[in-house]
Amino acid sequence: MRGCASQPGNSTMPNAKITRGLLALGCAALVSGCASTSASKNDPSDPWEGPNRAFYNFNDAIDRNFFTPVAKGYVKVTPQPVRAGVTKFSDNVAYINVIANDLLQGKLSDFASDTGRFVVNSTLGIGGLFDPATGMGMPAHDEDLGQTFGVWGAGEGRYMVLPMVGPSSIRDAPGIATSLALNPLAYLNPVVTIPLGFVTAVNARANLLEATNIRDQAALDPYTFVREAYRQQREFKIFDGNPPADDMDDYIDSADAENTADDAAVLKVY
Amino acid sequence: MRLLPRLLCALCLALLCGLAPAATATPTATVEKLHATLLSLMKEADSLRYQGRFERVAPVLDQTFNFETIGRVVTGRYWKGLAADKRSSFLDTFRKLSAATYAENFDGYGGEAFKTLGEEIKKGAALVRTQIVKSDGKTVSLNYVLNQSGADWRVVNVIAEGVSDLSLKRSEYGAVISREGIDSLIAKLNAKIASYAAANP
Repeated sequence: MRGCASQPGNSTMPNAKITRGLLALGCAALVSGCASTSASKNDPSDPWEGPNRAFYNFNDAIDRNFFTPVAKGYVKVTPQPVRAGVTKFSDNVAYINVIANDLLQGKLSDFASDTGRFVVNSTLGIGGLFDPATGMGMPAHDEDLGQTFGVWGAGEGRYMVLPMVGPSSIRDAPGIATSLALNPLAYLNPVVTIPLGFVTAVNARANLLEATNIRDQAALDPYTFVREAYRQQREFKIFDGNPPADDMDDYIDSADAENTADDAAVLKVY
Repeated sequence: MRLLPRLLCALCLALLCGLAPAATATPTATVEKLHATLLSLMKEADSLRYQGRFERVAPVLDQTFNFETIGRVVTGRYWKGLAADKRSSFLDTFRKLSAATYAENFDGYGGEAFKTLGEEIKKGAALVRTQIVKSDGKTVSLNYVLNQSGADWRVVNVIAEGVSDLSLKRSEYGAVISREGIDSLIAKLNAKIASYAAANP
C-alpha cells in the first residue's frame, strides 16, 4: 500500500529538513521532476515562477543523474536497520534546532520533553543511533524557524526554489541557515563532516524515494505538484498537524459559486 | 459497566435506522464504506490483480464520491467555459483516473488498518478525520471532506498529511488548461490511465 503514505517533504521524517540545512544536497530530491513543461504564464501566487522552474529543472537533472541512482544503490547495499540508525542519528544531531524553536514558539512542555529526548537519545541512544526516548514518553516533534514565523503570524511570502536546496519561501529560507548553525556536525573537522554529511544526505534521499515515485506517477506538472504539496505541508506543520477547520464555509461558498477565481487556499479544508 | 447500556442504545438506534425508509448514511459511513473496499483491495491485491482492483473500486467510488462537485472544483474558473460534452468527457476520464489510481496504489497488504477518529458537520459540509495505522504503529493522517448529495454524503476532497488532493489537482489542471486547453488535459489524464494499465499487465 503506498497510496497515501507519503508526500514530498515527508512529515514523519524531520531528517529531510535537517539534512537540507546540513549539506543542502539531500533535498535536491524534493525538487526533482521532469522538465516537460515550458515556461508558462505566471501563477499570481508564484511571481518567481520563471526562475523557480529553471532551478527546479536544474535540481531535477542533478537528482536524476546523481542522487536517485546513488540512493537506490545505497538502499540495495545497506540493511534496513542500518538505514534506520542513520535516519535516527541525523534526526538527533539536528534536534537542537527543534528545541530552540519550541522555545521561540512558547511551547514549554514540548521544550522540556524535547530537551529530555535529545539528552536521552544522545546518551542511552548511543549518539542518537537509537531512539529510546519515544518509548519513554518523549515523542519526536518537528519544528523549524519557518514554522516559528508561521506561528507568529507571518504569511508564506513568495515561493522560491533554491538551487541545490529545493522548495522554500521567503518565510522558510532563513531557517536553512539557523538549522545549519544549530547542527553540531557543522562544527566538526571537515574530514568528519563531509563524509558524514554525504551519507546522511543520501540516506535522506533514500527515505524520499517513495514520495518521489508518487510524484512521478501522479503529477501532470511536477513543478506545480511539488509547489502545492510543499505549501500545504508547511501549513500543516505550522499547526502541528491540526489546522483549524474554519475554512469549511469558504469551501462551500467557492464550490457553489462556480467561478472560483484564485482561491486555492479555501480548498485546504482539514 | 456502562458498556451494556451503550450497546443497547446503539442497537436501538440501528433498529430505528433500519426501519426508516431510505436511511441517510452518515459521512462516517460513506468513508468507512470506501475504507472497507480499499482494505479488500489491499488484502486481495494479488488474486484480483490490477484489472480486478480497478473493477472493484470503480463502482464504490461512484457511490461514495461526488464527481460532479470534484470536477467543477478541480477545473476551477475554466469549468464555466466548458461545453457540456467537454464536461462529461472530462468527468468520465477523471472517474477512471481515480479508480486507476486506487487500483495502482493499493497493491498489497502490510498489516495496515483504517481508524476513524471523528466527524464534524458544519453548514452542509462534513469533515471525517481518519488515520491509516501501519503495522509498526506509525500513523498517516487521512481526512475527508464530504457534502450532501440528495440523501447521501459524498466525498469531495481527500487530505493526506495535510495535503489536499483537490487543491493539488486544481493547481495542476489549471496550469495545463491555461497553457494547452482542456483537450490536452483530458489526453494527459488518459495517458496516465494507460500507463497504470501498461505497468500492470
